[in-house]
Amino acid sequence: MAKAFAFINDKRVRDVFYQAALLIGLVALLVYFIRNASQNMVQAGIASGFDFLWRTSGIEVPFVLTNYTQSDNILALFWAGVANTMLVTVIALVLSTALGFLIGIARLSSIWLVQAIAGAYVEFVRNIPLLFFVLFWYFGVIAALPAPRESLSVFGVAFLNNRGLTIPLPDAGASFRYAFIAIAISCLLHWLFLRWARRRKEATGQDAPVLSVGLFLLLLVPVLALAWATLATRWDIPVLRGFNYRGGFVVIPEFVALLAALVTYTAGFIAEIVRGGIQSVPHGQIEASGALGLRPAQTLRLVTIPQALRVMTPPMTNQYLNVLKNSSFGAAIAYPDVVSLFMGSALNNTGQAIEIIAMTLAVYLVIGLAVSAFMNWYNARIALVTR
Amino acid sequence: MRAAATLSTSWRERLFGTPTITVVTLLLAALIAWIAVPIIRWALIDATWNGQTRNDCTGTGACWVFVKARFGQFMYGFYPIEERWRPNLAGLAFALSGAAIVFAPKRLKLSLGLAALVVLPPLGVWLLGGGFGLRAIETREWGGLMLTVFISIYASLIAIPLGILLALGRQSELKVVKLISVLFIEFWRGVPIIAVIFLASLLLPLIMPAGIGVDRLARAVIGLGFCIAAYMAEAVRGGLQALPKGQREAATALGLSYWKATWFIILPQALRISLPAITNEFIALVKNTTLVLVVSILDLLGIAQASLADPNWVGMNMEAYVFSGGLYWLICFALSRWSRSMERQR
Repeated sequence: MAKAFAFINDKRVRDVFYQAALLIGLVALLVYFIRNASQNMVQAGIASGFDFLWRTSGIEVPFVLTNYTQSDNILALFWAGVANTMLVTVIALVLSTALGFLIGIARLSSIWLVQAIAGAYVEFVRNIPLLFFVLFWYFGVIAALPAPRESLSVFGVAFLNNRGLTIPLPDAGASFRYAFIAIAISCLLHWLFLRWARRRKEATGQDAPVLSVGLFLLLLVPVLALAWATLATRWDIPVLRGFNYRGGFVVIPEFVALLAALVTYTAGFIAEIVRGGIQSVPHGQIEASGALGLRPAQTLRLVTIPQALRVMTPPMTNQYLNVLKNSSFGAAIAYPDVVSLFMGSALNNTGQAIEIIAMTLAVYLVIGLAVSAFMNWYNARIALVTR
Repeated sequence: MRAAATLSTSWRERLFGTPTITVVTLLLAALIAWIAVPIIRWALIDATWNGQTRNDCTGTGACWVFVKARFGQFMYGFYPIEERWRPNLAGLAFALSGAAIVFAPKRLKLSLGLAALVVLPPLGVWLLGGGFGLRAIETREWGGLMLTVFISIYASLIAIPLGILLALGRQSELKVVKLISVLFIEFWRGVPIIAVIFLASLLLPLIMPAGIGVDRLARAVIGLGFCIAAYMAEAVRGGLQALPKGQREAATALGLSYWKATWFIILPQALRISLPAITNEFIALVKNTTLVLVVSILDLLGIAQASLADPNWVGMNMEAYVFSGGLYWLICFALSRWSRSMERQR
């Protein structure tokens, strides 16, 4: 008898048993929750399914990039929210990376006061909740800006007031399309040139003028193209009429406040990553490249930055994902992102909690997975290859 | 050599070492003065400190009378004044037990900690919420700094044990356990916390059997707790990965079961290594408690925000923000310094 049950002492048998028990327990719990939910929904008279997406939304959105209007369906409202989330995320990413690098490098400055100010900034922003920044920028700063009549003018073409930022809008996009095509071509040329330069270096050991060609193709060409496009277009410049500005494009105060909060907050974290990355490069590397006869600029480009990037990429990925997720803080000041439009307004109108929650979370999971897949690919490309 | 040279550098050299440094220093000093002088004038020199009402605020600077008048609300929200001894007592109990555990002799620490873990959480809920002889006070009346502390502590009471289990699950050899842990962790880490709070407040009542309500504060705490658990799991995983594999192998060779080895050998070492990372996640939690504002639960920031709507105190935005922001900064800065000093001790 005892022998018949000896198999329970087999570790493999027990492992299978425990895992099966865990799985069955979880599934049972899930079934229980779903059963309750469906009963509760029947009681509340809510139909499940995604049919509600084709109903007319009737929700007015103060700031749209898509051509959504009130009479469109709820699915269109969803896309309008996703577009607004993406807009603020992408702009915040670019600006906070730039500001973060600036502050991170300032923390390593040889000038004491520069270092001290950058350090104080980092200690200040990292220890305060992001929501505080959002509310502070919105109710404290933007709301305290002057009324349209006394707007702060930016070179006489853009105007900042308590109703937002009014910027000029190009009348026709044609010249900008040509400019972007020119920029794309010069980027392609630059890539081809780099490939050719590397091949030649490997074959003959000769250096190509990488820096000057790069500056020309990646800096001068885009600047000239954009300058030409700016001059070639007629601009709809906002003009003060009565109590507000007419013409141009109004960036709503919610966007300005959310962007300012995301950038000032995230920059503090990026600065620490940049500092850590640069400091992680052993000093001996720099001394060694000096001994090999590399000039300081070459050392920076060929020795310091590649090694610092290697350390910085994984935490930067986390910060980029945080910016995406943190853009949802706009919901607290009613910036029309996907959370406030969909989990807020649409959910209030339709009551279809489960479908709406699932769709909203899917937005973040899908974009987040795409970003981390890209960053992992990039990380693998620049990672140290040890043989 | 370099460190010694830096230490001996005098202030004069630091600020005015070379002509370039001198120019930059002077420019920045002018910039600081330009920004800081009006702020200091507003906050200290021109500020009003004494009085009771809006009419006493005659100065051109900040009106700290507002913060004084509202101090009770900033701390306790709308908790009845005559019952405020209860959150005070609960806070004292938590603080004293924390101190007792820190200063207790080593062999008593674990049992003391476990006893506190069993006794304190229900005690705190009872003191704050009432029942069994105490006047019942609905969570709607809780608020202010007291609520910030409450949510932070109770959400981490969910997050830390769950996070440890998830971290162990992620390291497990059992495929199903590992897969479930990874999915759970990546899901909660991938979605915004604000969405989690909405999700918890909408979904928890829906998935409970009809007639069983979940208090809205409890919903927020559960949502935050799950989310932070996923981040805690990653912090603990760092500690687990830092442990040499030989530790578990040796424990197994000595005949210890998985759980005994984990409890006596692995976790004490892994948790010590990951304590700074856990503290950093706790700081993030304290900052994220502010998000309960979106489901109309008024923690410290929520109370500050709500106070702006008071017609008796119009235009006190800056005072409310400076006070609440300063408090958050002090709390988080103290915690981050503590975590950094732990890192250095290691």
